[in-house]
Amino acid sequence: MTARRRPSRCAACLGPLAVLVLGAGGAVAATVTVTLNVAAASPGPPQDAVVVLDPIGVAAPPPPRDLVTTIDQVNKQFVPQVSIVRAGTGVSFPNSDQIKHDVYSHYMPKVFELKLYAGRPTVPVVFDQPGLETLGCNVHDKMHAFLGIVESPYFAKIEHLGRTGSVAINAPAGRYSVHVWHPNLSSRVSPQPLEIKTDTAALSFDLDLSGIPDPKAAWPWP
Amino acid sequence: MQLRTRIAVTFLLLLTTVLAVALTVVSHTNRQNAAHALTEQLQSGDKEFHAVLDLNVRLLRNAARVMADDAGFRAAIADRDTETLVSVLENAGTRIDAPMVVLTALDGRVIAASGSRAAIGQTFADRSLYTRRLDAEGDIEPNDTVVVEHGRIYQLVAVVINNPLPVAWVVMGFEIDQKTAKALKDITGLGVTFAIKSGESWVDVVSTEPGTQRPRSAEETRRIGLPEVASPTVVVTLSKSFADAMLPFDRLTRYLYWIAGIALAVSAAAAFILARNITRPLQNITAAVDQIRAGVYDAPVIVQRRDELGLLAEGIQVMQSAVQSRDQSIRRLAYEDTLTGLMNRAAFNTRLEEALRPGGASVAVAVINLHRFRRINEHLGYAVGDAVLKTIAARLTDGACPTGQVARLAADQFAAFMPLQPSDSLQSWGATLLVRLSDPIVVASQPIDITATLGLARSPADATSADELLRCADLALERARREKRGLASYEPAMKPVERDQLSLLGELRQAVDKDELRLFFQPKVELTTGRIAGAEVLLRWQHPTRGLLGPGAFIPFAEQTGFIRQITRWTLNQSLACSAEWLTAGHPLPLSVNVTVDDINDENFHLRVANALTQHRLPPDLLTLEVTESGFIDDPARAIAMLDALAQLGLHLSIDDFGTGYSSLSHLARMPVHEVKIDRSFILGLESDAEFAAVVRSAIDMGHSLGLQVVAEGIENETIARRLTDMHCDVAQGYLYAKPMPRAEFERWLDNRPRVPVPVTARALTNDTPGVAAKLAAL
Repeated sequence: MTARRRPSRCAACLGPLAVLVLGAGGAVAATVTVTLNVAAASPGPPQDAVVVLDPIGVAAPPPPRDLVTTIDQVNKQFVPQVSIVRAGTGVSFPNSDQIKHDVYSHYMPKVFELKLYAGRPTVPVVFDQPGLETLGCNVHDKMHAFLGIVESPYFAKIEHLGRTGSVAINAPAGRYSVHVWHPNLSSRVSPQPLEIKTDTAALSFDLDLSGIPDPKAAWPWP
Repeated sequence: MQLRTRIAVTFLLLLTTVLAVALTVVSHTNRQNAAHALTEQLQSGDKEFHAVLDLNVRLLRNAARVMADDAGFRAAIADRDTETLVSVLENAGTRIDAPMVVLTALDGRVIAASGSRAAIGQTFADRSLYTRRLDAEGDIEPNDTVVVEHGRIYQLVAVVINNPLPVAWVVMGFEIDQKTAKALKDITGLGVTFAIKSGESWVDVVSTEPGTQRPRSAEETRRIGLPEVASPTVVVTLSKSFADAMLPFDRLTRYLYWIAGIALAVSAAAAFILARNITRPLQNITAAVDQIRAGVYDAPVIVQRRDELGLLAEGIQVMQSAVQSRDQSIRRLAYEDTLTGLMNRAAFNTRLEEALRPGGASVAVAVINLHRFRRINEHLGYAVGDAVLKTIAARLTDGACPTGQVARLAADQFAAFMPLQPSDSLQSWGATLLVRLSDPIVVASQPIDITATLGLARSPADATSADELLRCADLALERARREKRGLASYEPAMKPVERDQLSLLGELRQAVDKDELRLFFQPKVELTTGRIAGAEVLLRWQHPTRGLLGPGAFIPFAEQTGFIRQITRWTLNQSLACSAEWLTAGHPLPLSVNVTVDDINDENFHLRVANALTQHRLPPDLLTLEVTESGFIDDPARAIAMLDALAQLGLHLSIDDFGTGYSSLSHLARMPVHEVKIDRSFILGLESDAEFAAVVRSAIDMGHSLGLQVVAEGIENETIARRLTDMHCDVAQGYLYAKPMPRAEFERWLDNRPRVPVPVTARALTNDTPGVAAKLAAL
């Protein structure tokens, strides 16, 4: 996992998403600051953490039809390695390398395979079922990426979580269950309840990343 | 054991011992080394085994890894259809040669299995297989273990299947079979045996070693549990037999035995050659020494060597010649008299013994004694004495006896022997010798007056051995000397009584006291007329147990002990008494009585005689005292003085054994004697020897010229009597006329025989006789 990051590209994809969320909210909206403290770090390099505010009692607004995102393949790495999207998002898997890749997922929520290819495939892959998609390349075993697919529109990613990190998520008033996921977690982290009444709220999670990673087991939803 | 054998055997024993010790030590060390090497090999084998096992596992892991990462396989196992999964696993197992392939969830619960009876949903094999450990790259490391299923041993390798994240374990089981064991053996060089637990015991499943030859001792084996936990399911036994470990050492030992054997053989040969080199010269030397011992001195000692043995041989060679010359001189000294060159006693004895062969001729032996020889040495010097001895020796060897039969026994004593023909007379041979020796000896123009006495003996009559014969001759010599005769032959009576001498002396005293002595009388006959001129008184001993003994049986002993004086006194008294009785009876007869040297040397002897004559009132001229020439030897002057004294008494004196003694004419002329008695040895030789006749004739003539009456004794036949008559001998005595007789018999014999008239002038001694009274008073 020594691949170089391209933070500008990631910021570019998060920006419109946040605007979209805020635009969809009701009259009272608040900014929730979630802080993650890593009690025991994993031996490897920092990875991206995901925070999801799952609304309780209310159905999430239906996702827009044209949600798309990109998971690039650069230098025999997926970029980004951790992505989080609303269900129904189409993901494009451009190949920026000079070599061919064979992107696959053998397991649910979406089984697919992009047979050896180069360049940008014409049709993005639409992930309409929630779950944690593990992506690999059949010809490059070291390549893999996580694609979290959630129903909730309120989520954010903390890039390169080191010892600590925090992120602000805007969400309308209401009750939520706050979930945290990190690829190096070995088990599920207990969700924290949150009721947004004022315009700010703050939460913090203590993460133990020292165990053997089991990202699927740690995925907050079955 | 021979020296050669001993040297060789000692050498070989020593070498064998050293070799045995060396071989034992080497064998022992070899054993230890082999045991040590075995331990080391087993230890290193243990390590190698583990390394090989690790390598094997790594290879298997990699193979499993490759299989697990295979895209097709990965895609296939995503399929939830069990049938499909089993076929996929089977296919994968075929590809990588794993008879058992099991797919489990990450927690080890079986999803699908091929080649195994693993139950779906149960944890397959050991839970440790599913321990997730990350490697440096963050990947989950494969695990491995060993299991036994249906009596087969499997090496299990569990690899996580990333799809792309870890989703499952695939466990591949590779059977540990004969091939595996063989490969392990090839690498470690040790026997490899896999055993599984069956109840309480372990059962060998796979082994490179045949069961019967499998080493089982702790020394030869090393057990490794698989997996390496407290209670393994499989045990591997690495083994190597001690015999195999000993192989290189055995070869070494075999070489050593070869070397030892060759060394022994070479050494044996060397020892034998060396020993022979030493002993062969020793044998030569021993042979030479044997020769020397046997008296052969010209055998060369051949040892061509420059070492000690050579020196020894040389030394023995030198010693041989030294011994030879010494032997010769010793022989000379031992068997030869250096002065005269005659044999000595020892040689004579030997020679005589040779001559005395049984059945051989009779041998006569003479022992010859020179009178007064000591005086010659003393007065004339040893040179003269030596010259005399040489002359005597020359005379004895020149004519009388052949060379080699004459010996010098002592300073003045010689001996000779000669085989006698049956007709030969011992006496005449002795007389021949005597005559030969009686010639005057002239040394440096000086005549030496020397006389010899002979003792004679002959074999086999007297004795049959040289010693005995010589002793007999010695006894005869003794007799001759005592009786003042020129020679005497041995008579058995001469043999000393073989009794305790003290008891003999006691018996002799008794003989005098108890009147056991007897007087015998032998007549003296006037040759021309045949009338009886007198008689010689001879002594006999009527021994109570031994019968009648001649004087030879006791007189020598009496002389030795000094008892002779009593005997002489007794004899004189008895003789005078007898003579007095005959006188009183009216027919007096002159009697001759023998006196000895002892008596002559008694300075009062004449007084005793005078006393006796007086006591018996006997005219002295009826008594003749016979004295042997030897009586004058020691002190002639004193003897002549005694004779003078006796003559003064008026009695007659006679020289007995005339011709054999040393009385020179000058002495004879000075002696107041009336009669000479020619020794019987001359008379006996008269018949056969002309020389004897000359001697007898001259003796008679000499006696007559000195105005002496000449008596011959030992007349045994008429011929001699006639010859003596012709020679004008006066009186004769001998067996021809009468043997000695006891008084009564003698008196009968005398009866009617004519006698020579006794001169009427005879007067008995009285105390009034001038000179006598005074002398008698002195007693």
